[in-house]
Amino acid sequence: MDEEYDAIVLGTGLKECIISGMLSVSGKKVLHMDRNKYYGGESASITPLEELFTKYEAPAPNESYGRGRDWNVDLIPKFLMANGQLVKLLIHTGVTRYLEFKSVEGSYVYKGGKISKVPVDEREALASDLMGMFEKRRFKNFLVFVQDYREDDPKTWKDVDPNNTNMAQVYEKFGLDKNTADFTGHALALHRDDEYLTKPCYDTIRRIKLYSDSLARYGKSPYLYPMYGLGELPQGFARLSAIYGGTYMLDKPIDEIIYDDNGKVVGVKSGGEMARCKQLYCDPTYVPDRVDKVSKVVRCVCLMDHPIPNTKDALSTQIIIPQKQVNRNSDIYISMVSYTHQVAAKGWFIAMVSTTVETNNPEAEIKPALDLLGPIKQKFMTVTDFYTPKEDGRDSQVFISKSYDATTHFETTCLDVLDVYRRGTGEDFDFSKVRHDLGDEEQ
Amino acid sequence: MTTLKIPEQKVILCGEYGVGKSSLFRRFTSNIYTTATDRQSTLGLDHYSKRYHVAGKDLKLQLWDTGGMERVASITSSYYKFADAAILVFSLDSPESFNMVSQHLLDIVSYAENAKIYLCGNKSDLKSLIQVTDSDMAAFCEQCQTLVAATFKSSCKTGEGVDEMFSYIAMQLVDSNRSKFELEKLTENNGIKITHFEESDDLNKCSC
Repeated sequence: MDEEYDAIVLGTGLKECIISGMLSVSGKKVLHMDRNKYYGGESASITPLEELFTKYEAPAPNESYGRGRDWNVDLIPKFLMANGQLVKLLIHTGVTRYLEFKSVEGSYVYKGGKISKVPVDEREALASDLMGMFEKRRFKNFLVFVQDYREDDPKTWKDVDPNNTNMAQVYEKFGLDKNTADFTGHALALHRDDEYLTKPCYDTIRRIKLYSDSLARYGKSPYLYPMYGLGELPQGFARLSAIYGGTYMLDKPIDEIIYDDNGKVVGVKSGGEMARCKQLYCDPTYVPDRVDKVSKVVRCVCLMDHPIPNTKDALSTQIIIPQKQVNRNSDIYISMVSYTHQVAAKGWFIAMVSTTVETNNPEAEIKPALDLLGPIKQKFMTVTDFYTPKEDGRDSQVFISKSYDATTHFETTCLDVLDVYRRGTGEDFDFSKVRHDLGDEEQ
Repeated sequence: MTTLKIPEQKVILCGEYGVGKSSLFRRFTSNIYTTATDRQSTLGLDHYSKRYHVAGKDLKLQLWDTGGMERVASITSSYYKFADAAILVFSLDSPESFNMVSQHLLDIVSYAENAKIYLCGNKSDLKSLIQVTDSDMAAFCEQCQTLVAATFKSSCKTGEGVDEMFSYIAMQLVDSNRSKFELEKLTENNGIKITHFEESDDLNKCSC
């Protein structure tokens, strides 16, 4: 490692691995290091199960949990939107060839103490128990409006100017009541709080379209989940980076980041060696003095030997609890995967509850979600800080990603990655640089 | 439209840095050999599919190279996932690379437990320099009992033994593939591969 690199990347979380892949593809000489001996950092899937129990200082799992290495437990729960940014990145970079996915079976929303399937098309809306008869008609009109809406074609706007109309006004125009607005904004548009109501409506309309376009891809829900867990994603991008010349070193303590007199990064010291670099990319945990603590996220991993009640025994599900339903400011999310995704031993299910912390008692905050799960065999709760970088990195040439937020999908993750790449290179990532034929030729 | 899909089997190369995994890969893909001076280790090699017709059946071997990640012992566990066979490569002139085979074997067994495992001594052209003997290889296979399905010797430089090895592996996989194929039909446990979408329905629809 005693060499000069264009970029050193610290941490092998998903964001850093995507960035590393993009930099290598762009012809940069990249050294990628991690202090852990496994790939993935915070976005790893922990295996075997014993490792997870050790991590949370719990007594070792008994034999009812089956073979430890049949488990791959994510630390951060997320799904991929089938038509979302991450899927586009996977396709454009060719990393999709390293992965297999399953469609998530059901998407539910919480209302008045029970859960209902999220209606996404006119037919489902009419059959839904979320709305009364007249409300259903109004909601159907709204869905038709969204489906026909084209930002570039004012004829489809129906007097809704995307920039000068806020979402509350759109709900009003279609006569939708508070409940319908609630699940539309939170379960379809996937907003985390109600700030969107006063913002221009185009963002929410785009989000609803993303939801329904994603749903159209594979059917039952708009979400995809990779076999063997989310930890496969950073590894796929790491391989891309390696194939384009990136050097990987795991289990490397980062002793010191070295700067010159002007505060610009010049290298990284690790185990008595120094690697020099022009730029440094890293997650917030490697540069605690250069990030601000903005909020906290609570996540709870629940191991269960049954699916979530009232979900038609789905082997994978998402449940959204809109903030208002439980008198909060941010939504609570539940995502559940199971043995069918090769992340748990036969007959086992992993539910993950997450939300932004609002009180001094995060465990009590997630109780409404835990109550929906039925009996839980083992649960591990963590509260992690959410960090954002203090500076854009122009002067120091240190480009820091944000922590992983409480959203249930990767849309914000990808936006952050593209933003870091733009800050670091001064340009948008050119997808055409990736050679699509890489290894795909056949005889 | 229905096309008969030819079953494809993932075969991975494992072993120490510099034993010739990428050379085996190049022999497999285009039957060429590049000397150390005019290539940059493993840059740009990912995987490659080749069709075999054995015992009246069609089969594709999809060979994967490490991407050079073994250089600092940082191969991803993903590399092993879904592998149907693994070729443990060492260099016949390097007892060190042979001694490390057991370590790589352990990785294969932990991450790709269903893979058939083959042992391949490469650089057989270096006749006078060979230090790992047939009996060393036999002793190793005996130690790990039934884990190793077959052993080979190859020279990527001359091409000797390379085709024979891949054809043999293809033949063994055709047999085991039959039962696997039927099992998959029973369990319907197949994942989705995401493939290219039509670009027309990209972001354009809503952003402009």
